[in-house]
Amino acid sequence: MTGKSHLASRYHRITDEVVSIPAQFPAPRTWAVLFACSMALFLLLIVSVVVLLIRGPGIWGNNIPVGWGFPIANYIWWLGIGHAGTLISAMLLLLQENWRNSTNRFAEAMTLFAVTCGGLYPVLHLGRPWYFYWMAPYPSTMTVWPQFRSPLTWDFFAVLTYLIVSICFWYIGIVPDLASARDRAKKRRWQLFFGICALGWRGNGRHWLRWRQAYTLTAAIAVPLVVSVHSEISMLFAAGPIPGWNSTVFPPYFVLGAAFSGFAVVTMLAVMVRSLLRLEDLVTERHLDMLGRMTLATGLMTAFGYVAEVFTSLYAGSYEYQTLMDRFTGPYWWSFWGAVVFNFVPLQLLWQRRIRVAPIPAFLIGLSVAIGMWMERYMLLVTSLYRDWLESSVNLFHATFWDWSLYLGFIGFFLSAFLLFIRFLPVISQFEIKEAIDEGAAAVG
Amino acid sequence: MTRYDALSDTRGQAFWQGLDQLLEQPDFRDKVDRHFPVFAGFDLARRDILKCLGATLALAGLDGCERQADETAMPFVRNPAGGPGAERHYASAVELDGVGQPIIGICRDGRPVKLEGNPAHPASGGATDAFTQAALLGLYDPARSQAPRREGAPATWSEAEAMLSELAARLDQGRGMGFHLLTGPLGSPSLLRQIGELRSRWPAMRWHVHAPLAGTVPEAVLPLEKVQALVALDADPLGPGPFQTIHARGWSTRRRAYQAGDGDALLFVAEPAPTLTGVASSERLIVRPRRIEALLAALSAALNGRAAAAGLTGKEQAWVGRAAQELLRHRGAAAVVLGAHHAAALHATVEAINAGLDAPQASHAPANPQGEDLAALVAAMKAGTAKSVMVLESNPAYSAPPDLAFAGAFQRVPLRIHAGLHPDETAELVHWHLPLAHLLESWSDVTAADGSCVIVQPLVRPFFDVRSRHQVLALFGGAVADGRALVQETWDAHDGVDRWNSWLLSGRVEPAAKRSAAPVVPATAVLPVLSGPGGLDLIIRRDWSAHDGQFAHNPWLQELPRPLTKITWDNAIEVGPALAARLELENEDLAELSVGDAKVLGPVWILPGIAPDTVLVHLGYGRRAGGQVGEGVGFDAYRLRTSGASWHRPGARLRKANGHHPLASTQRHTTMAGHDFVRYVEQAGAALPPAPEKPSMYSPQPKGEGPAWGMAIDLDLCIGCNACVTACVAENNIAMVGREQVQIGREMHWLRVDRYYSGAPEDPEHVFQPVPCMHCEDAPCEMGCPVNATVHSPDGLNLQVYNRCIGTRTCQAYCPYKVRRFNWLDYVREDPPELRAARNPEVTVRDRGVMEKCTYCIQRVERAKIEADADGRPMGEVRTACQQACPTQAIVFGNLADSSSEVSRRKRDQRDFALLEEANTRPRTTYGARIRKGRKS
Repeated sequence: MTGKSHLASRYHRITDEVVSIPAQFPAPRTWAVLFACSMALFLLLIVSVVVLLIRGPGIWGNNIPVGWGFPIANYIWWLGIGHAGTLISAMLLLLQENWRNSTNRFAEAMTLFAVTCGGLYPVLHLGRPWYFYWMAPYPSTMTVWPQFRSPLTWDFFAVLTYLIVSICFWYIGIVPDLASARDRAKKRRWQLFFGICALGWRGNGRHWLRWRQAYTLTAAIAVPLVVSVHSEISMLFAAGPIPGWNSTVFPPYFVLGAAFSGFAVVTMLAVMVRSLLRLEDLVTERHLDMLGRMTLATGLMTAFGYVAEVFTSLYAGSYEYQTLMDRFTGPYWWSFWGAVVFNFVPLQLLWQRRIRVAPIPAFLIGLSVAIGMWMERYMLLVTSLYRDWLESSVNLFHATFWDWSLYLGFIGFFLSAFLLFIRFLPVISQFEIKEAIDEGAAAVG
Repeated sequence: MTRYDALSDTRGQAFWQGLDQLLEQPDFRDKVDRHFPVFAGFDLARRDILKCLGATLALAGLDGCERQADETAMPFVRNPAGGPGAERHYASAVELDGVGQPIIGICRDGRPVKLEGNPAHPASGGATDAFTQAALLGLYDPARSQAPRREGAPATWSEAEAMLSELAARLDQGRGMGFHLLTGPLGSPSLLRQIGELRSRWPAMRWHVHAPLAGTVPEAVLPLEKVQALVALDADPLGPGPFQTIHARGWSTRRRAYQAGDGDALLFVAEPAPTLTGVASSERLIVRPRRIEALLAALSAALNGRAAAAGLTGKEQAWVGRAAQELLRHRGAAAVVLGAHHAAALHATVEAINAGLDAPQASHAPANPQGEDLAALVAAMKAGTAKSVMVLESNPAYSAPPDLAFAGAFQRVPLRIHAGLHPDETAELVHWHLPLAHLLESWSDVTAADGSCVIVQPLVRPFFDVRSRHQVLALFGGAVADGRALVQETWDAHDGVDRWNSWLLSGRVEPAAKRSAAPVVPATAVLPVLSGPGGLDLIIRRDWSAHDGQFAHNPWLQELPRPLTKITWDNAIEVGPALAARLELENEDLAELSVGDAKVLGPVWILPGIAPDTVLVHLGYGRRAGGQVGEGVGFDAYRLRTSGASWHRPGARLRKANGHHPLASTQRHTTMAGHDFVRYVEQAGAALPPAPEKPSMYSPQPKGEGPAWGMAIDLDLCIGCNACVTACVAENNIAMVGREQVQIGREMHWLRVDRYYSGAPEDPEHVFQPVPCMHCEDAPCEMGCPVNATVHSPDGLNLQVYNRCIGTRTCQAYCPYKVRRFNWLDYVREDPPELRAARNPEVTVRDRGVMEKCTYCIQRVERAKIEADADGRPMGEVRTACQQACPTQAIVFGNLADSSSEVSRRKRDQRDFALLEEANTRPRTTYGARIRKGRKS
């Protein structure tokens, strides 16, 4: 009995802690400062997009032969980050790994925002972005269809599907918490807001049953999507007859790289959420530990991908070998060695639990991986294109102010959206934590 | 008082049925008649008004019709059945250094849109050089002078006419004393006649010719088609200049005969810096300029069986030995040519050698110089005896050697007149600037390279208030003369005479009234012996694109990659790798080049194959006036000249300066990096090793019936002259993007000419490779495009559908040849209306954000198809713009399904290979391997 009341009071505390965040935000000043910075960057995004639409993609450093530059590299980077969110919540849900419960909500939100950034990039990248819908198989009066052999067509489907499934999964997951928030809201406008969002959730058994089915099903759809979407993205490179791209190792290599960068960013966000919202007892050392392990594991797999890629290039010889040597020692050597160093050197610290559970080192290692994975995308794209077949076409790519401004702008968009999310929505899945605690207690009891 | 006032005047209630009723009132009619007497008695019935309106509309419509060429210009043979938008072809000519380049001008809607070589004229044979192609843009140059100017202020022609007739009256009294006429190199019989007449009218007047590119002897036209062994000593017969087309045609005729097993095509070149002739040669010897004399002496000795004088290096001796041996072996079909800028004494030796070799003679002899040179004019101006000077189509204020101090002397002349196309440097110094009509919009005549004459007929009426050069000279006669009549006077012809009409139709005066092909140029002083103080040898050359500076304002030429350096929009101080290493210079470093008192500051470019301790610069840059395009581009190499040493100056010094000047080069990697993009065979008849059949999932093309288009480019014939690239620009409305865009790799040329080096950097082997779209049968671009914007046509063209393109650039990323071009910015929207008028209406102007590339001139293919369908006959031959312009016939386009076509024949040749065969794209464009030697095995 005492156990039960103890549990009940703990449930209450959790609910209070999570649900009260929007109404009584624990760190309004820090939040405001961060939000102002993010909004400034977001403003830069708007300026960059307006300038882009007025003047055209020539404001970037792209040229012939490097026709793809930052937009495509960043597109892959953002989507890669997004994948960790899905992996954490959907795959671990299916595997019934309960430690996910403290992190899944904001990891899913991260997925949503990252996929939005990633999805916008290839549209803005177009020469005529206003015609992006021509990639969709809609019944046009000209009876022209997309070209189904193109990896871009499938990219379009993949990203759109992924975005829709991610939204569904995230939203289904958050409904019960929205209902608790509604029930506890004191102000009329919060009551209305959460009330509408909670879709009339009353928490009866039928609701829970249906909810469980829907949630698991969506998770089951989402997990293979991680693999298919990023494999598909890798086809963007692998399908082209370009030395350094045309390799079957790319799909798994890209998926692992995506998960790797995603776990790194989740770690960063976990540390941020934890300290900003003072949720140290919900996002515990255990979670940081698990995230660290995942980062380390996917990182090592990605490292294997590097080795495999180098080996194939050496084995292929000729142009592939030339591209490999360009990566090692060419004008973009920094991107290759930068990727190797940033991705894999600090990563080795994660072998120690001490480092994994320490918020600041974990954050810094996550940051290093995020930078390293960005360099990897850049390296894969630029070093292959700048010198592919004919020596006469060799030309260097140099990013311009607008390349960087658009990138920083999207980071601003991501952070703004994420800060709004933690400010106004329940960041942690409280009912799932309760469930986990309950099950834990039951196991002990 | 309005017509309605009638209403207010009425008392009581006056009902009126409509405003028309008022018109019937008699006083109103009176009033109208008073105000508009024209309409007095005009019955303004409704029907009449409607009739009137209808007629007005119809007349307005008529007036809006196309802007026609001069009504008496004679369309060339091909004149399709009229109608708006129909093409009209006129035979005419443009001029380079006084030498006519025969053309067919294609006009649409009354404006010239493309110039092509005149196939019926032996000096062209349908081919052109890059300058001729770009002359079209010169016509539409927004920077051209549009009206007379008096001391910089706008004036009218009637004022100018008054001034000239007053001057003529004054000169009549003094028999022309104190009047000096300065012209550029002249080849126009009418102009020569007019000048002759002026000189007989005013015996005391003096005529000067300023030809900044002239050598000590007139450049000779060589019958290269007959020469099996040619020795070129510091000469560049295949290089840019007025005779490039005829020389290249002759050389390629010989070369193709050699390929077919008929005789040899040997070319021995000794030169200090690479030229197109040197690149095309079978044996190239790099020597410093001062060694030419010794080489010539040794060659002469060897030919006469005497031992060569000592002092030759082993390499030189071997080269002279082989050259002499081949010359002797081909007696009667061998020749020696020496650069026109060498001393006259050396030319005498060459003449003697050629006579001894029984060398094929040009069908006409160089002309005797008639005009005085610029130095004589400057002397007269300094002495104050020059009272009035008229400069006609010449720009001495820019191109005179600095030691003459032309500008200072010129400004002491009381009356200075300039007639030219542009408000250039000289125009800024004169009292009167008279705008001339472009040759494409005026009547004139020129002498072509083969010595025959071409009547220049206008393709369009002048756009501006300008006069032809003949009309301007005729103003001295008082009356405003008709440009056509002036030319007819020379030829003793008039309208309607069959002779005249046939000349206009064929573009050639027949029977060929042979005149000297060489323009009238003055003899310059003999060069001082080239042994100055130690230091570097400075070589000054005409520019590949700007020529003597007259084309500095032509964007098509400015953006044309120079054949060897691939630099656009600039000139550079070109040095060899060893010298650069010694002076610690790298590409694009600023350096100060000085010789004597003159110095220039410019960026360095390392050019392999240049003689040791030799510096090469090109003229034509650093323009200070004449148009925004060329002003401030590059440095002015004229400042390094003196009147005695125009082409070579010993004792130059080169010093690294602070700073860096980025150059817009379109090809920075110069070697093939171990790949075989260009393949070689050792001699004619030799075959490349057969390429194994590559596996493919797709069935081989052509699949169906109908034509299968393909192209073959013979690398053994390509001399890298860029005529094809300019022709492509003109035909396909290719946007010029400017230096900054080229620098970051965004030039838009659909056809590029790649240049590769192999061997030692000091003495490399050069090769050119034109690269258009390969029209791959298994095209990676088509697989990559998500929206079907690049697709394959049944006849094998790789199509680009501009309005379907959304600009993903996947096609460009996947293209192994990187021939696709993207409209990164809006490169055309801000074009002034003049430039829009120059566009080919058959080719879409591409918008921002759209990919484009070579289409195999699909507009020409389609037109041929439509015409064949209309006539109910099978499709005939189609020629692409690049093929048409190519003076060596290196490019051949045609139907692969027809085994008798030239392109099929080329593809069956054992020298045929595909670029990047390993990519297995099955390209429709293939190449003929280069033949290393020109000797029959």
